[in-house]
Amino acid sequence: MITPNYITESSEVFDAIVIGSGVTGGWAAKEFCEKGFKTLMIERGRIVEHRKDYIGENQPPWNQQFRTNVDNLLVQEQYPIQQQCYAFTDATKHFFGNDRDLPYATPDDKPFSWIRANQLGGKSLLWHRQSYRISDFDFEANKLDGYGNDWPIRYKDIKDWYSYVETHVGISGQRENLPELPDSEFLPPFEMNSPEKMIKQKLESAFPDRHLIMGRAAHLTQPTQLHISQGRVQCQARNECQAGCSFGAYFSTQSSTLPAAAKTGNLHIAANSVVHSLIYDEQTNRVIGVRVIDNDNLKQREYFGKIIFLCASTLGSTQILLNSQSKKYPSGLANSSGVLGHYLMDHNYNANAGGEIDGFEDEIDQGRRPCGILVPNFNVQPDPKRPFLRGYMLGGGAHRETWKNMQRSEGLGIDFKNRMGKPGKWKFGFYAMGEMLPRFDNQVKLHSTLKDKWGIPQLDIHCEYSENEKLMMEDAKEQMMAMLKVAGLKNVTGRVNHRPPGIAIHEVGTARMGKDPKTSVVNKYNQAHDIPNLFVTDGASFCSTPPQNPSLTFMALTARAVEYASKEYAERRL
Amino acid sequence: MSLTKLEVSKMSCDLSRRSFLKGLGGVVGTSSAAAILSGNAVSVALAFEPIKGGTEKGALFNKQQMMMLKAICATIIPATETPGAADVDTQGFIDNQLFHCYTGSLQNEVFQLLINIDSEAKAMFDVDFVELSDKEQLELLEQVEIGSNTLLLNNRDKFKFLKSLVCFGYYTSEAGASQELRYLAIPGGYKGSVPYSKGDSGWGSMGLKY
Repeated sequence: MITPNYITESSEVFDAIVIGSGVTGGWAAKEFCEKGFKTLMIERGRIVEHRKDYIGENQPPWNQQFRTNVDNLLVQEQYPIQQQCYAFTDATKHFFGNDRDLPYATPDDKPFSWIRANQLGGKSLLWHRQSYRISDFDFEANKLDGYGNDWPIRYKDIKDWYSYVETHVGISGQRENLPELPDSEFLPPFEMNSPEKMIKQKLESAFPDRHLIMGRAAHLTQPTQLHISQGRVQCQARNECQAGCSFGAYFSTQSSTLPAAAKTGNLHIAANSVVHSLIYDEQTNRVIGVRVIDNDNLKQREYFGKIIFLCASTLGSTQILLNSQSKKYPSGLANSSGVLGHYLMDHNYNANAGGEIDGFEDEIDQGRRPCGILVPNFNVQPDPKRPFLRGYMLGGGAHRETWKNMQRSEGLGIDFKNRMGKPGKWKFGFYAMGEMLPRFDNQVKLHSTLKDKWGIPQLDIHCEYSENEKLMMEDAKEQMMAMLKVAGLKNVTGRVNHRPPGIAIHEVGTARMGKDPKTSVVNKYNQAHDIPNLFVTDGASFCSTPPQNPSLTFMALTARAVEYASKEYAERRL
Repeated sequence: MSLTKLEVSKMSCDLSRRSFLKGLGGVVGTSSAAAILSGNAVSVALAFEPIKGGTEKGALFNKQQMMMLKAICATIIPATETPGAADVDTQGFIDNQLFHCYTGSLQNEVFQLLINIDSEAKAMFDVDFVELSDKEQLELLEQVEIGSNTLLLNNRDKFKFLKSLVCFGYYTSEAGASQELRYLAIPGGYKGSVPYSKGDSGWGSMGLKY
C-alpha cells in the first residue's frame, strides 16, 4: 500500500477538506482523491496502520491479560460508557474512545450511551458490518405519518450510488427481490445452518409476509479482482473483526477506501487534530478552513480548503457546527433554520427472544460466521390497527450450546467435564432492531459551562425513547416468540430491556436534509442550504432512521455528494 | 488472614495498580502507534501464566485458601485423558481474575464460600476440607451445590459463581481450549453443517469474548 502523506503544519489551500476518517470520511476522501482533488483528511485521534496496529488480533484467550476480560479499575475509570458496547474486550479496547477524556452531559433521568472510536479509521474498524439498502417505504415514512420532514430523496436517487459503493466494498448476501429490502450487488452469502433453514421454512409458511434471510455483511466471501488488487482476501470466519483484520476481509477505511485514496497521491492526513470549529468568511459566505487543537500538546493550528465535508460522525459533525459561531450564525454555522442539533435518533435494540431446538444432534457448524440471519421489517405499510408507528427488523442465529451456556447446570467431576466438553442442544436467539421516531425534543446542544480538555464545549444530550418505541419493543417480543413457537422451538422466552438510546450506535439526525431551508440544514445533496461549499454527509443528515443498519447509506450519500460537489466546483458555484 | 488485614492489603494493591494504570494511560494518550504497541506489550507480559504445581499464594487468597481452591478445581473438573482444572492452575487464575476483574463484594462471596465449605467439612467429617479424600470432597461439594441444609442453601449462588469461574479459567486455558476442546484460530470460512459424532469435542475457539 502507498503511504498517505501525513502532515502537521501546512499553509496550503487544499481543494477539499474531509473531517473524519471513518466509514463516511474514508469514502469522501477516496472520491475526491480519485477525481484529482488535492485532499486533506483531518482525524482527531492517532494513526492506525492496517495490519501493523491491530495489536489485539488473533490472540488466543490464554495470551490475553485477563482472558478477554478487561481490568475492572481501567473500565471504571476510563471506559464506563464504552464497556457497554458488545465489542468492548481486551483485544479491542484501544479502538474505543476514553470516557475520561471525552466527557459529555446528559440529564440524570435521560442517559445516552455515546460510543466513540477516535482514531484513523474511526468506527469503520469496530462496526458490525451489516449492510442494507433503504427502500421507498422508508423514504416515504415521514411524509405518510407526519413525524419528521419528508426525505428530499427517493430510492431512485440513490439506487445507482448503492451499486457503486457496494462493488468497491464487497457485500455478501442473497438476492431476494423484496421491495422492503432492495438487493445489493452481492458476493455469495454466508451459509445458513440446518436449524436456521428449518426455522426459515416453517416461519415463512406460517407468516407469508415475513422472510427469514441471510444477513448482508461487508465481508469478502469471494473477493473480486478489484478486492484482490487492493490487497484484500477472503473472509476466514474468525469473527474477531473488531480487533482489526489483516486479511482485509471486512470493509474498513484501512482495508478499502484509504489505500484507494492514497494510491492517487492526492491524500494528505492530519492526525491528532481535534477540530474546534470551521473558519467562516462572511464576505464570501464560504467556509475557508478548519481550526484544530492538537490532540497531544493542545496547541491550535489551522488548515485551509475550498470545499469542506463534515464526516465526523453524527454527533461529532453537529458539535463542530454548533461550535462554529459567527455574527451571522450565532447559534451555529449553517443553522439559519434553527433545527441544527434537533431530531436526534438511534435504533432501539431492546427486545429479544430465544428457544431450544430439538434434533440436528448429528451435525454442528464450523467456523465463526461474522453475520447472522435477518427478518426484514414486515411492518412497512402503515396500519392504523397497530399500536405503534414504523417497524423493526430482527437479527439472530442458531448455535449449539457450549460450556459457556451450560456451566451453571448441576453436576461435578468427570460427568460434568464430559458434558461441558461436548456441544449441547441447538438454540436460536432473535433480537429486535426498531425504528425511532424523529422528534424535535431529542436534541444536542453545547453545554453552557462544561468544556473538554481541548477547551471545546461539551455536548449536552437530551434524548429518550418515546411510548411509540416502547410499544414497538413489546410487540417485537410477542412476534418473535410467536414465530419461534410456530417453528416448533421449546422453552421459548422473550424479554424487553430498557437500555438508553445511543447503545445501538446508530445515532443519526441533528443536521437533517430537506427541501426547505427553513426546516432543514442540508439539501438533497448533503450541501448546507446556507453555505454552498459546506457538506454534511454522515448520519447527521438523516431525516428518519429506518431499521436498516445505516452505514451503507452513509457511503452512498457521500459518494453522491462528492460527485455533485465536484460538478458544482467545476461550474464555479461553490 | 483477618478481613481487616485483607482489606488493607487490597487497598495498597489498588493504589499501586492505580498508579500503573495512570502510567499506561499516559502512554496510550500519545500519538504514535508504536507507543500503543509497547503499551500492549506491557499487558501481555502481565497476562496470567499458570504455575506448574499451582500458585501457592495469590493476590487475594492465602496459602490455605489456595490449597482449598486447588482441591475444589480438581473436584469440579478433574484430570482425565486431558489435564484437569487444577493441573492448569485454574486456582491461580481465579485469584488473578477476581482481583482484577471483579468487585470487592464478589471477591467476598468466594471468601465466605470457602469459610462455609470448611465449616461443613468439620461438621460432616471433623477435619478441614483439604484433609478429605477425593471422594469425600466430591460428596461434600455435591451437598453444597444442591444446598442440602439450611447453612448450605445460602451458598448455592456463591458456589455457582465459583463454578463458573472454574469453567472460565479452565476452558480459556491453553489445555482447556485446545486439548479438551477443539481450537480453530483461523477456520478458513463458515460451514453451516458438518457431521458431528457423539463424543466429539466442542469448539474451544469463540472469538473475541469468552
